[in-house]
Amino acid sequence: MAKELPIVPTATPGSLAEISAASSWREYRPEIQEPGKVNPKVLFFCPEGALFHEEGIIAVDLSVCKGCGICAVESDGIVMVPEYTGVLGIFGVKEGSK
Amino acid sequence: MIDKINLEQLPQEDLFGPGNVGCKGCAAAIAGRQAMKVLRERTMITIPASCMATLGGNNRRTTWKIPFYHTLFECAPAVSSGIRAALEVQGIKNVNVVSWGGDAGSADIGFQALSGAAERNEDIFHVCYDNEMYMNTGGQTGSQTPKTALTSNAFLGKPTNKKNMLAIMEVHGIGYVASASIAFPADLMAKLKKAASRKGFSYIHILAPCFRGWGIPSDQTVEFARRAVYCGLWELYEVEDGIRKRTVEPQLIPVKDYIFPQKRFSKISAEEINRLQQQVDDYYGKVGK
Repeated sequence: MAKELPIVPTATPGSLAEISAASSWREYRPEIQEPGKVNPKVLFFCPEGALFHEEGIIAVDLSVCKGCGICAVESDGIVMVPEYTGVLGIFGVKEGSK
Repeated sequence: MIDKINLEQLPQEDLFGPGNVGCKGCAAAIAGRQAMKVLRERTMITIPASCMATLGGNNRRTTWKIPFYHTLFECAPAVSSGIRAALEVQGIKNVNVVSWGGDAGSADIGFQALSGAAERNEDIFHVCYDNEMYMNTGGQTGSQTPKTALTSNAFLGKPTNKKNMLAIMEVHGIGYVASASIAFPADLMAKLKKAASRKGFSYIHILAPCFRGWGIPSDQTVEFARRAVYCGLWELYEVEDGIRKRTVEPQLIPVKDYIFPQKRFSKISAEEINRLQQQVDDYYGKVGK
């Protein structure tokens, strides 16, 4: 950070990411099935910044991903898979969820 | 031709994005992420009441990693003007001072402060991220809502046309005005970089679809931003020192391919579709490249 910029003394920068609860209500999650086919441009279409590249390989940070599915639409090699594949209750709610 | 941005050479660290509390598939968040890839650390941002103000932080937590000031609805460009003046008094140079409003905070409720800052040619730039309705308060009609779109207070569709904000800002005589789209990140980032490099006031208007308000699936946000450009209804261009250039050539796909899948246009008539198509055909026929 540029230290000479005046800091507004309220919030801790980037601190929302530390308490992200996206994974608790996500219905689908992206799964990179064919890494070689992923278009790097898709990094710029993720609203959360959940996609990142590590040594040339694109990966997903599921702690902040909300499962919108944009990455799967915008790039080959990524598919959306359900978070829960078990039995649904009579109201379509997954077992054990509140 | 606009300077090209090499997407692969951009920094990986996000100064906005992870942990934001926006809806899944939020285009405003995409616009914010893309912008911060080129504006970087030496940026101060003011945001009036809008989705963007909410999703970027609450209480003592924020997803921004730059100084971020949540202003009143009417005055983000005025606050940015004050910040620039304060920086100058303190001798702090090379800082991007940005006001970033939604369509309401730019074209309607925030227009007075925006017009004033443009007229004074303040050394700041304003970004309007446009989801074409007041989505932070439940999807009401605004001046950027297109004709015939259904909103929470226009059950039969908006009866009037979308206000042309780019033309209005252009006639303020400011040095740089540009339209952008989240579906074309290199173009968007190049325009932001140009606005940041210029002295004086600049205005950038980004089309950022809201999947909830538009009635499309959350995974189609970028696709519909792209279709808006490709069908010709959202032209990507810039006006720099009075010289106008189109920066992305549309493929001119049928307008109906953009309009019909959106639930907000479920009551649009065939005549209105034809009128829009004719309007696009006439415009691109006359203006050319």
